[in-house]
Amino acid sequence: MFANADGRHFDHYQTLHERFESLGATELDEKRRLVENGFLEQGITFTVYGDDQGTERIFPFDLIPRIIPDHEWQLIEKGLTQRILALNLFLHDIYHERNIIKDGLVPEDVVVGAAHYRPEMVGVDVPQDIYIHICGTDLIRNGEGRYLVLEDNGRCPSGVSYLLENREAMKRAFPGMYRQYRVRPVDNYPELLLKTLQNLCPRPGQTPVCALLTPGVYNSAYFEHTFLARKMGIEIVEGSDLIAIDGYVYMRTTKGLVQVDVIYRRLDDDFLDPTVFREDSVLGVPGIIDAYLRGNVALANAVGTGVADDKVTYAFVPDMIRYYLDQDPILENVPTYLAWREDDRKFILENLEKLVVKAANESGGYGMLMGPTSTSKEREEFAAKIRRNPRNFIAQPVVSLSRHPTICDERQIEGRHVDLRPFILYGKNIEIIPGGLTRVALRKGSLVVNSSQGGGSKDTWVLYR
Amino acid sequence: MRLRLHHRTEYRYSEPVSNNANELRLQPPTTLWQSCESSFISVLPGVRLSHYEDLNVNVVHYFEISQPHSRLVIDSRVTVNTKCKVNFDRLPYGFLHRDLDCCRTMEDCHPFLQNSYHVEVTPEIWRYALDIKGESEDVFQTSYAIMEHIYKNYQYQSGATNVSTHASEVLEGRKGVCQDFAHAMVALCRSLSIPARYVSGYFFDATRDHSLRGSEASHAWVEVYIDNFGWVGLDPTNNKVVDDTYIILARGRDYRDVAPVIGAYYGAGKSAMNVNVDVQRLD
Repeated sequence: MFANADGRHFDHYQTLHERFESLGATELDEKRRLVENGFLEQGITFTVYGDDQGTERIFPFDLIPRIIPDHEWQLIEKGLTQRILALNLFLHDIYHERNIIKDGLVPEDVVVGAAHYRPEMVGVDVPQDIYIHICGTDLIRNGEGRYLVLEDNGRCPSGVSYLLENREAMKRAFPGMYRQYRVRPVDNYPELLLKTLQNLCPRPGQTPVCALLTPGVYNSAYFEHTFLARKMGIEIVEGSDLIAIDGYVYMRTTKGLVQVDVIYRRLDDDFLDPTVFREDSVLGVPGIIDAYLRGNVALANAVGTGVADDKVTYAFVPDMIRYYLDQDPILENVPTYLAWREDDRKFILENLEKLVVKAANESGGYGMLMGPTSTSKEREEFAAKIRRNPRNFIAQPVVSLSRHPTICDERQIEGRHVDLRPFILYGKNIEIIPGGLTRVALRKGSLVVNSSQGGGSKDTWVLYR
Repeated sequence: MRLRLHHRTEYRYSEPVSNNANELRLQPPTTLWQSCESSFISVLPGVRLSHYEDLNVNVVHYFEISQPHSRLVIDSRVTVNTKCKVNFDRLPYGFLHRDLDCCRTMEDCHPFLQNSYHVEVTPEIWRYALDIKGESEDVFQTSYAIMEHIYKNYQYQSGATNVSTHASEVLEGRKGVCQDFAHAMVALCRSLSIPARYVSGYFFDATRDHSLRGSEASHAWVEVYIDNFGWVGLDPTNNKVVDDTYIILARGRDYRDVAPVIGAYYGAGKSAMNVNVDVQRLD
C-alpha cells in the first residue's frame, strides 16, 4: 500500500499512512458515518438512469485522499492548458477558415460527420473567441506513472460539486492531518467560474446578469446545478423561466422580466432551442439561439463544442497541438484505433476481446464494450454495430489504471482503480483548480469509474511545494 | 519570483487583408537566471505555427494567413521563474574604461559595439556621452550615470515617437517611450565603446501605486557588458538595475532584431493595433 510497483513507499504518503494505521475500527466507522450523514443531510446525491432501486443515491465517498505532489501537478497543469488552447483554436478554425482541414491534418468527414457538429455556427464569432469555457478532462495514470488523457469533456462536464463537497468533508473528518499536509485550496472555484461567465457579458459597462440553465430536477446532476448557482449567487432557471423576445433573452422574475447576459447552460445543444435543434425539446427556450447568434446573450459552453468531445476527434488532438501551437503534446493520448480507417477497423474486429470499444458520442460509461470481460454474444453485437456505422466507433487497448488504497468491505484497505478529472476554466486567464475529482472503481478489479456504473470518489490533495 | 504573463496583440483591419505573414519573438529563453516553465502562443484565425532560432538565439515563431481576414489576434501565455542576477550589496564595479579594448575582439560583444538600424554613433553623440561620463573611470558607474541621465532629463511621452524612430532623433528631442530610451542609452554606451544590447521583455510592477512606467505593454531596456560579470540590465525608463521582476523575451542590436510582433500583409486597409499585457505574481 502507498507504494510504487517496486514496493518503495511514496514519501508524500508517509504521514497519511501512519494516520490510518493508528485509526481503530470504531474510530474509522465513526468518521465514515459522520461524512455519509453529512452528504445525506445536504442532499448531495445523484440519479442513475435505467435503474429501479430508487433513483437517488449518495455518491460513495472514500476516506483516504489521493495526494498529488507539486511537481506532478505542474506537469498536469501545463498539459491541460496546452490542450484547452489547442481545442479552442480547433473549434474556432473548423467554424471559420478550416485551415487544419485544408492543410490535410484532420479529414473533413471527421468534423462535419461528428454528431455534435453544428453548421449553424459556421462563421459565427463567439464572445471572446472562446468555445470551451469549462472543461473537465479525464486523466489516467498508466503503469509507468505517466498521466494520459482519456477524454475531454467540453460540453457540460459535471462533478465539480462533489470535488468541493469532498474537500469540506475531509476537512471536518481529518482537520489535523489536512493542516499538516499544506493542501492547496479549491474553494475559490465558484468565484472563478462566475468570473469566467462574467467575462462573456455582451453589454459592456454593466453588471452582468448570469443565470444557470438546468434541465430540471430529474437530471442526474441537478444537485450540482443548485449547488453551483447558490455558491455563485446567480439564479437557477429552467427553460420555461426564460423567454426570448426580439433577439434578447429575459428571465421571468417576481419583479417582471430581467434581461440575461450570460447563461451557464447545463443542457446539451440538442435541447437548447426547439426552433433550431430538436423540435420535441420542452427543456429549452424557443428563440434563444437567435439571440445567441445576434450576440445579445452568451452561452457557456458555446454551441457546437461537441465536435471536440467526439472520440474520433480526440485521436487528432496531438496533431492539433503540433499544428496550432507548434509544440509536442505534454500529456499523451491513450492509443486509439478509429473504425472508419480500414486498417484500424480490421484490427479492431480481430481483437475485440482485448480492446475497449467506445461509441464516439456517448458518455458516462454507456455504450461501450469492455473486451476482456465481455461475452461472445456482446462481442458479436458490437462487431455488427461497428460494421454498420464505423464512423461512430473507436477502440483503445485496456490501460491498466493506477490503483489507490481505498477502504473496502470489512474495513480492509485495498487498491482500487482510479482516474482524475481536473476542471479547467478558460476566461480571461486559464485557471485549473488544484486537483480535481478522483473517481474510484469500488468493485474489485473493475476499471469503470463512472458514478452511474458503481464508482465512488475521493478527495484529491495537491500540495504546495 | 514566479510570474504569469498574458500578452495579447490584436490587429483590426479597415478592409480585409490577405497573405498576412508574421514573425513573433514572444517565447522567453531559459537562462541561468530565468527559467521558462511554460509558453503558449496562439493565433486567431487558427493557422499552422512554426518556429526557428535566429542569430541572436531568440526563438522566432512564424505563420502566414493567406485567405482574407479583417482581424488578427496573437496571444502569448507564459509562466516563468526569475532570479536576480545582480547582488545589490555588491554591484559589478571594478571594470575600467581603459580595459574596454578587450571587448572589441570578443565574439559576444562585437555586434553590440557596431552601428545598427536604429542606432548610429556620431561625434556629437560621443561628445554628449563624454559629458555624462565626467570623471568616471568605471564602466558600470558610467552606464548607471547614462541611465540616470536619461531617466531624469527625458520626457516619457507616448505618441511623440513611433516604432521606426532613430536613436539620434531621441537624443535630440529627449522624449519618447521605453523603446526610445533604450535606443538612446545603447547609442551613448556604444559611443564610449561599452558593449550595449537592446532587450525586450516585461516586468512585474511591485510598487504599491503602480508608478513604474511601461507595464501596460511590452517593455524594453538595455544590457551592458561588464568583464568578469557578464551582461547587466539597466532600465532607463524606470532608473532601475534589472532584478527578478523582469522577464527577458529577446535580445539584439536594437528593436529591429527583437520586435515581439512584426509582419506584412497584402491589402489597402489600415490596421489598428491594440496591445494588452498583464503580469501576475504567483508565489
